[in-house]
Amino acid sequence: MDAPHVIVVGGGGTGGALAHDLVLRGLRVTLVERGELTSGTTGRHHGLLHSGARYAVNDPESAVECIAENRILRRIAPGSFEENGGLFVALTDEDMDYRHSFLAGCAACGIPTQELNAAEALAVEPGLTPALKAAVWVPDATMDAMRLPLRFFATAQRNGAQLRPFTEVTGLLTAGRAVTGVTLRDNLTGAEAELAADLVVNATGPWCERLAAMAGATVPVQPSPGVLLALVGRLCNLVVNRLHRAGDGDIVVPQRRLSIVGTSAWTVEDPDDLDVPDEHVQAMYREGAKLVPAVASAAERAAWSAARPLIGAIGGAGGGGGRELSRTFKCFDHAVTDGVEGFVTITGGKATTLRAMAEATADLVCAKLGVDAPCRTHEVVLAPHTAYFTGRAA
Amino acid sequence: MSSPRTVLLKVFRYGPDDAAPRYDQFRVPAGPRTTVLDALLAIRRRQDPSLTVRHSCLHGSCGTCGMRVNGREVLACVTRLDGLGDPVVVEPLAGAAVAGDLVVDMEHVYRRLEPVGRPLVRASERAGKNDTKADPGPLLEDLERFEDCIECGLCLSACPVAGDPRFLGPAALAAAERVLEEPRGTDGRAVLGLVDDAHGAWRCHLAFECSAVCPAGVDPGGAIMRLRRRVLADRLPRLVGRYHQEVPS
Amino acid sequence: MMRAGLRRGDGRRLVPRWLDPHGRHLGTWAFVANRLTGLGLVVYLYLHLVILSTLLRGPEAWDGLVELFRRPVFLAFDVLLIVGLAFHGFNGLRVALVGSGLLVDRRKGLLVAAGILVGLVTLVAAVRIVG
Repeated sequence: MDAPHVIVVGGGGTGGALAHDLVLRGLRVTLVERGELTSGTTGRHHGLLHSGARYAVNDPESAVECIAENRILRRIAPGSFEENGGLFVALTDEDMDYRHSFLAGCAACGIPTQELNAAEALAVEPGLTPALKAAVWVPDATMDAMRLPLRFFATAQRNGAQLRPFTEVTGLLTAGRAVTGVTLRDNLTGAEAELAADLVVNATGPWCERLAAMAGATVPVQPSPGVLLALVGRLCNLVVNRLHRAGDGDIVVPQRRLSIVGTSAWTVEDPDDLDVPDEHVQAMYREGAKLVPAVASAAERAAWSAARPLIGAIGGAGGGGGRELSRTFKCFDHAVTDGVEGFVTITGGKATTLRAMAEATADLVCAKLGVDAPCRTHEVVLAPHTAYFTGRAA
Repeated sequence: MSSPRTVLLKVFRYGPDDAAPRYDQFRVPAGPRTTVLDALLAIRRRQDPSLTVRHSCLHGSCGTCGMRVNGREVLACVTRLDGLGDPVVVEPLAGAAVAGDLVVDMEHVYRRLEPVGRPLVRASERAGKNDTKADPGPLLEDLERFEDCIECGLCLSACPVAGDPRFLGPAALAAAERVLEEPRGTDGRAVLGLVDDAHGAWRCHLAFECSAVCPAGVDPGGAIMRLRRRVLADRLPRLVGRYHQEVPS
Repeated sequence: MMRAGLRRGDGRRLVPRWLDPHGRHLGTWAFVANRLTGLGLVVYLYLHLVILSTLLRGPEAWDGLVELFRRPVFLAFDVLLIVGLAFHGFNGLRVALVGSGLLVDRRKGLLVAAGILVGLVTLVAAVRIVG
């Protein structure tokens, strides 16, 4: 008997890691993505491999997920990170006060830290402002926002997953209220088709409400964009964070010979067509320069917006524009939440936790399809990203 | 009150079932910061949803949005319309199979890169000056960063001789030079043998168009010349040595 | 799936890739000029030998040709020939040096120097041939 067929909608990091996980467990997988892989939110983030430290105080569940995945990703995707670590930098007395709960939170979440005085911090990272008071080193790292997920795609493809970029879901096939497949349009040729599946997974990130609505289901996700700034010059070698609760422009991430300053937050209804508000761009310059003074005079390579999928009550959860919502992830079995069989949504989360999100989703998918196979993605070393391109049939 | 500025874009259109490509014209609003990619996505969203474009990072780091604008290879996401004139001609990269409109198959880039090995992470230069006397300790050992090349394929499109499918091409040769400069466990002799070939480093005609268009500062042309020096430095002493051996003492 | 459609995204191209000037930089211009001057010099060399062969037909035939070649339009061609020769020579030196991996980081300067030398030779040639 044929293995069950799962359609994964959404070619971001989560979709790629999920295709990889499901194929390893013996299922047949087709992944569809309306544009190029990672062309949604995944490709646009600043490239931070979280240590989890910035969530250690307010969102320890997220923090613990992050540090675990941080270690796993370095093991399964060696050679894919700038592994210089990160610094949380205290600039004011409030920052210094916050340091105590920060260090306690990191310890409680199992995140290794090392305290540095101002002179030590400057010796490690000369790009810092000389006015800093103290710093804490954490195991942050930089990833390539597209090429890291591409390793999952490459491995999944090698193992038999059908990856179909530039293929857009135009509707869902249903039998009663159950989802039985998708209707597709090939965006390169315009050709339309139908594809049946035993289960459809909604991994479309901030667009997940749109797809869920096609099934008559709902997902409480608030698209929350933020502005990022890419500056010319590698202004620091380590990731530099502000040691405070949370705020705009409080991180500078090195990426090759660019420096990425981020980010801000507001909420929208439609994750397509995002603005890049100029006040936010100016805020990035201002706040980023407090940490790394060279930011102020650096030339701008680009300014763009990316929408996070934040899980929370629809209609806004507080006036913070999305910052207070948890950054953890969640699977929704729509048979349970909406009475729609054959349809599952995975959303929330962040780039660092792509593998864990996939594991949780694959566990749910396998449970629903009666497949008894353990997850192996935490130990399988991934193929190089180049294999995605050279492994595709013309 | 002046009306907002608009620019005419002439965009290459081609579907795999078409007999021949055509150029469609679109008028788009152009602010001072509007990039070519912004304009193309605006066309897709508001004028013609059938226009397909590759993109991902929106800041010149992933290399997916390479195309030719007014004949010159650029990354569309960091190329502003301001200063490009009117109309602006937008075409896909040269020498690549067109999958549809501006989207090309990047296989021709990757099949050349793979044999070289291409480790992604390299030693990093220091950022900034260290004025303090403090000992940085073990945290500063082995600072690293990603290699500059973002695999965008602009160099291959711009190269006047890369139409030859056997030519390794600027991207792969530059990657080879990096591997020889900083081995990181790869086999230097094998890579040297790979590039010391009529279709390797010797195929280049020094147009340096690759270096002129590279958006990531790789300088592939310079790398190819440094490769030649390595090959010569490797070969010549052996040639001379062999001659001396043949001459009876 | 990526289907191999049109082999090249070169809808507008009317000439071979290496001759296409759109969006190209100085280095490519030098490369194209080297190819064209090289071809031109080969053609000239052949013509030159053909002309020289008239010597076999005696002094009158030769003198007639020399009179022809003293006309202004041919003197102008001579200047062009010197320019082509100078360019191919000096640029060729640059290519030989840089192409062996020498002075790679000074290649812009070498190109400029070659250009200056070509300009000087052209000036001297123009003055001596036409002036």
